[in-house]
Amino acid sequence: MTTEVWFSRVWIFLACMVLSGCGLLIDAVEQVWPVAGSKVDIICERGRVQVGLAMEPFRPFVFPTIWTDEGARVTGLDVELTRAMTEELSRRCGHPVTPVLHLVRFRDLFRLLNEGHLDWFVSAVATNTPAPSRAGVAYSLPYFYGGGISGITTSATVLERVRANVREQAMHPAADRLAATSHALDGLTIAVQDETSAYYYAEANWGANRLIVCDSLPAAFEYADAQTEPRIDIILGAQPVLEYMVKRVRKDWSLLTRDSGRPLFLTKADYGVVVAEESYRLRWLVNDLLLKLDESGRLGEMRTRWLDEEYAFPRRASLEGLPFDVEKMASHYIQGTCRIRPGS
Amino acid sequence: MRRRAWMILAAAVLLTTLHASIGLAVERAEAEEAARLLAKLLESGRAVIERNQSLIDDPHKGEKGFTPELFEQQVVAEFHAKTGIDLKALPTAPLSLRIPPLAKELLPALMQASRDVIRDAQVVINQRGIGYKNFIPATYGSQASARFSKAAHVRLKQTAIQPRNPKNEPDEYEASVLKWLSARPRAEAYVSELTEEGRTLRVVMPIYYAKDCLACHGEPKGDLDISGYPKEGHREGDLAGAITVTAPLGNR
Repeated sequence: MTTEVWFSRVWIFLACMVLSGCGLLIDAVEQVWPVAGSKVDIICERGRVQVGLAMEPFRPFVFPTIWTDEGARVTGLDVELTRAMTEELSRRCGHPVTPVLHLVRFRDLFRLLNEGHLDWFVSAVATNTPAPSRAGVAYSLPYFYGGGISGITTSATVLERVRANVREQAMHPAADRLAATSHALDGLTIAVQDETSAYYYAEANWGANRLIVCDSLPAAFEYADAQTEPRIDIILGAQPVLEYMVKRVRKDWSLLTRDSGRPLFLTKADYGVVVAEESYRLRWLVNDLLLKLDESGRLGEMRTRWLDEEYAFPRRASLEGLPFDVEKMASHYIQGTCRIRPGS
Repeated sequence: MRRRAWMILAAAVLLTTLHASIGLAVERAEAEEAARLLAKLLESGRAVIERNQSLIDDPHKGEKGFTPELFEQQVVAEFHAKTGIDLKALPTAPLSLRIPPLAKELLPALMQASRDVIRDAQVVINQRGIGYKNFIPATYGSQASARFSKAAHVRLKQTAIQPRNPKNEPDEYEASVLKWLSARPRAEAYVSELTEEGRTLRVVMPIYYAKDCLACHGEPKGDLDISGYPKEGHREGDLAGAITVTAPLGNR
């Protein structure tokens, strides 16, 4: 290579660096000439993959941590997914790779990923939540389809009011679908978990609602049980999580449904594994692992096992739960509280 | 003169043999007492967990205050009530208590293992909004035994005829003792035997179902309990299983 050619390439490179969108170019270059020491190589080399999970339970994706004969364990669909992905990763690396689970607050998962403490995280995270705090992260192929945001209530009157709102909106053909659903909750007091998709949905579709922001779903239940004023009319959250709760844990609550009895989704979402935006090779690898699990039918089996089968999670935690890094977990799980969003 | 020499030699051989047998008997007695006390200590730990079960499972409380220090305090009191031994004053214990040196070495080790279990379980115990956490006498006992056995030359184990945890499956010797015990009425006694041609001491201390255990192990048989296991249909006083101690003799 002549000096002239070398200099011209350097100039092109520098020009790219200062131009917006050069990330795409770097991405392409990395695909062609994978950089030594990429995330995947590092994971294989160290034999451990750092996986984040929300410490707040999102049953059946992540259950509360529980004590077993083997010590503290966590279980759920997302934990089984982590196990399956790590098994596949071990095959790719040619030696065993151990998952190191970090149980942290949901809202801290994004920060820890961006700071490089995690390789990826899972916790029923919707891949299509428009929110500034989700910048800098990327999503894998979905491993769970047909999730979304819905609500639960204990009041038949509230349920009827929501249905009436939906009916009213549907009578205006000019109204778009977003308006038709978002106005379904007008005039009601709504509780959401902070920084979840439901929170961002409520924030974006701000209607004539009063919003109560809770640190976790159990905190919302506790607030509602204590009949604190203003009373919660509806808890908004991930539909599969809420459905699991009302079917098995909180049978005094019911899902919002349409007149037809079908669940009322405010928006739909698929759930994916979250990786750092710049971890391109890792994202390809995660996608590949998920595709393999999907094609082998394993993802479908997981869904059936955790959503449809009858089981007690402590037993599954004993038999197949994963340990987690206690040192990296908060001293103890603080369920947190709820507070009224200012201005609502 | 020659006869006298023969007599001295014969006496020496006899004394040596006798000394060896007495030494073995003393070692066995000491190991047996140490094993009994270890089993009692684990039993005390289980009893403390059982007594604090409603606190541990309280969904409305976050920080429960059930710390390793509090646990130890309660275990010390429980163990004292069961054996008359003050674990806090083991090195200066009166000779009348006849605590073997082996027990003085192993009891603090088991207490340490138990404290470690309670310390590690804090993340589970202090969860608020979650009731049943599966931190029960059996799961505490499994972990404490495993951690103790890993560090000591003596093996401590919880077992039962049909254990829920496959790792607690009885070996051939334990299974035969459990079968024998199950055919007998409840008793405070324990079984102690030398196995492997006298090289190993096995001690089996039975555990019986108390009323509190029956919520998970009682009737109706086959129904799933809170942890998802089918209930066994037991009654109060039935044999629940045993704490077993396996100690090597003469090769420490």
